[in-house]
Amino acid sequence: MPLLSLAGVGKRFGGVDALSEVTFDIASGEILGIIGPNGAGKTTLLNCISGVHPLDRGSISLEGTRISGLPPHRVARLGIGRTFQVVKPFASMTVRENAAVGALFGSSNLGPRQAFQAADEVLEVVGMTAKAGLPVASLTIPDRKRLEVARALATRPRLLLLDEVMAGLNAVETDEALEMVRAVHARGVTIVLIEHVMKVVVGLCQRVVVLNFGQSLAEGTPQEVLNDPRVIEAYLGEKYARRMRGGADA
Amino acid sequence: MSDIQPGAAFSTRPDAGGRRLRRVLLIVFAIAAAAVLVAPLSTSDQADSLGLPVLVDRSQIRILTTIGMFVVMASAWNLVGGLTGYGAFGNVAFFGLGAYTCAVLVDPHKFHLPMLLAIALAPAVPVLFAVLVGLPLLRLRGHYFAIATLGTAVAVGEVVKNIEYLGGATGLFPPIVRHGDLLFLYLMVAAALLAIATGYLVLRSRFGYGLIAIRENEEAAAVLGVNTTAYKVAAFALAAALTGLAGGVYAVWNSFINQEIGFSLDFNIQIILMAVIGGAGTLFGPVIGAIALELLIQGLAGQGTIAVYAQIGLGLLLAITVVFVPRGVVDFFGGSSRLSLSHLRRSLRETSV
Amino acid sequence: MQLLIQQLVLGLLIGGIYVAVAIGFSLVWGILNIVNLAHGGLVVIGAYLTWILFSRWRIDPFLSLPLVAVALFGLGYALQRVLINRVIRAPLFFTLLLTFGVNLVVINVLLVLFKSDFRSVTPGYSGSGLSLAGVQVPYIRLAGLAVAMALAGGVALLLNRTRTGAAIQAVGADRDAAQLVGIDLRHIYALTFAVGAACAGVAGGLISTAQAITPTAGEPYTLQAFVVVILGGLGRVSATIVGGILFGVVETLAQTMVPGLGAGWANAIAFAILVVVLAVRPQGLMGRVA
Repeated sequence: MPLLSLAGVGKRFGGVDALSEVTFDIASGEILGIIGPNGAGKTTLLNCISGVHPLDRGSISLEGTRISGLPPHRVARLGIGRTFQVVKPFASMTVRENAAVGALFGSSNLGPRQAFQAADEVLEVVGMTAKAGLPVASLTIPDRKRLEVARALATRPRLLLLDEVMAGLNAVETDEALEMVRAVHARGVTIVLIEHVMKVVVGLCQRVVVLNFGQSLAEGTPQEVLNDPRVIEAYLGEKYARRMRGGADA
Repeated sequence: MSDIQPGAAFSTRPDAGGRRLRRVLLIVFAIAAAAVLVAPLSTSDQADSLGLPVLVDRSQIRILTTIGMFVVMASAWNLVGGLTGYGAFGNVAFFGLGAYTCAVLVDPHKFHLPMLLAIALAPAVPVLFAVLVGLPLLRLRGHYFAIATLGTAVAVGEVVKNIEYLGGATGLFPPIVRHGDLLFLYLMVAAALLAIATGYLVLRSRFGYGLIAIRENEEAAAVLGVNTTAYKVAAFALAAALTGLAGGVYAVWNSFINQEIGFSLDFNIQIILMAVIGGAGTLFGPVIGAIALELLIQGLAGQGTIAVYAQIGLGLLLAITVVFVPRGVVDFFGGSSRLSLSHLRRSLRETSV
Repeated sequence: MQLLIQQLVLGLLIGGIYVAVAIGFSLVWGILNIVNLAHGGLVVIGAYLTWILFSRWRIDPFLSLPLVAVALFGLGYALQRVLINRVIRAPLFFTLLLTFGVNLVVINVLLVLFKSDFRSVTPGYSGSGLSLAGVQVPYIRLAGLAVAMALAGGVALLLNRTRTGAAIQAVGADRDAAQLVGIDLRHIYALTFAVGAACAGVAGGLISTAQAITPTAGEPYTLQAFVVVILGGLGRVSATIVGGILFGVVETLAQTMVPGLGAGWANAIAFAILVVVLAVRPQGLMGRVA
């Protein structure tokens, strides 16, 4: 049985179909990439999975149990963690406290004392142990993204949804972030990541789903998908698709 | 958009002010509490007959009791306005409902319950009200929430005023308790200690972290697994319980309650002011604010000044505090900020256009 | 039926006053994101100015409206420039507290100056009115409605037809972006507040002709302005007009037509409307979905 399955998921915003008929499965233990041009509905999809937006059509189930329709906190308790593309740290807290909030709630649901231990553990996984005592305000952008991952990880998710954690990072920072995601995956967490940086997608994902105008356009290994003319066209337009056909890496 | 986030509202952390400050405060509070508990005994008839010196007179006991009452209400407000970041602007409704509940329960022609039992039951109605009103209103944010709570408070006051059973515009008169000064002082101090203890426990619990997470970013809190609706309503109801308790004690202490007192917009704003001036979101900020502001109000009134000048003074103080010390005195003296011109200038620059 | 029509007309006329009271409040809220708790205080200042001009120099209250507007404009400009501008970037709640403090000062200074006696402005035509098929229409109220509509029209023209109005709207949409294109934020903030205060002054002038005034009378006006803005929706002059008229009519009908309710229930009715609208449709009847 797949860990998560989406069946005919649809979401409208004021007459516009943000998502329509999105159907795919996520197997336990895999790293799945979701790519697509801006406005394709990637973040909306994460919002639908994590319960932030209610669905208009279709259903989402976690190991056969329907989770669509549940409020976000129930989804989190069932073991789905996520990060936000625009990071949302708890600004008045330290790094350690931020991570501890994740451990206090989510599917880990620990008491305060254990939560802080769990926070220290996840901060080590994302390489932020040295910064545990700092206020969030003093963190750089890459560190804020790490913290976002740490906090989600502290909820002990079975499935972690990462929304563009590499965007805006330089080459060195991206490599570090890749290591971080691998370290998280090594702990047995299934990962869905939204990403624009193709190097990340190719380097991490076993499978990729391409969204375009709210619909799934293609699905397969990174190589298959990136060589698919429909995908190239969606990203670059038809003219470029013809010119670049053969060995393009968007 | 950042200024609309309630998260930015009170960025003082629960332990802002630092450990050293907290230790000093604890000692000061211990001494003050001991003095408050012991000194009034010297005014009792027994002490008088033994020829012991009178340390405080009855008017001072009255002031101390009032301070205790505001410590309860400011600390209670802090749970919603300070910790959860929802700027409640109508907490006086809980006070009024608690006071009326208690007054009805002790009334010889109504329920005729013993006084202490009536006080203990006083929070029931405010809590019920907080849950009923909180569910729809706590979905609102910012100004909308503030105004809706203010509106609710005024509307409830008007309804109460129009109910014959509750004495209409005249109000209710719980039986006078003779020589009750000391009793009510200790009751109010006990309520204040209960409020502070509640704040202490909340700040150290999962519940408290959940509330602060909601204040800082409600959406992030929700996807981490915080049941935001339940937490917000629980905080609102807890504030209602404590404020209602203070109202219950007040009703029998004052042996008179009507709509003007029970739903007084003056009380309403004083509660908020105390918490904000002292330092919203901190444990002792509201306590310090309540003591300082009530002493100031009593001082202005006690100097024989006409009430209008006292009110003008209060208004100016409010304006000055908000403009110059937006994070409250606890943060001001204890946190990273210092009492210096450069800090004042920096804080002004941050908040002005 | 006759009674119903009479009450409808009265409600409409009272609604005109509510429009005047709310128009400045709505502007300041919509553009500056300030809920101005001193608005009622400003209304009362306007009423007292009208009263002084009338009782000392026998100036007709409707003729003195422009003078009152100019005076309140100056006061509003100074208030925003000197005081409120300093907390614009502070959390929302602080502007509430600050304007509450300003209101406290205003009320008590008025109490020092004028004592708490009731004053009223009673020009010769006070009692008279039209009678249309048995329905009474007092001249004063009718003129009040006309002035309120003119005021609303003036604000709409200012916002939509002038460079200053464009700047004000730009500041309301995104103050930082507005600053980037060269708009002087401090000035526009002060100007917007000043226009709001001028409107409050005019509303005060209208009120002084229709009812007795006292320094502490301001609070209900702030509350009424809340209700109107919430009812109609924030950010558009037309929404304020709809909200004000609707509120006037609903309140009048509820007080006179529903058995058991009377003048004592005015605030309760207002807030019941407020809370219900907030809970059901927070963006107001004419507001856009966020």
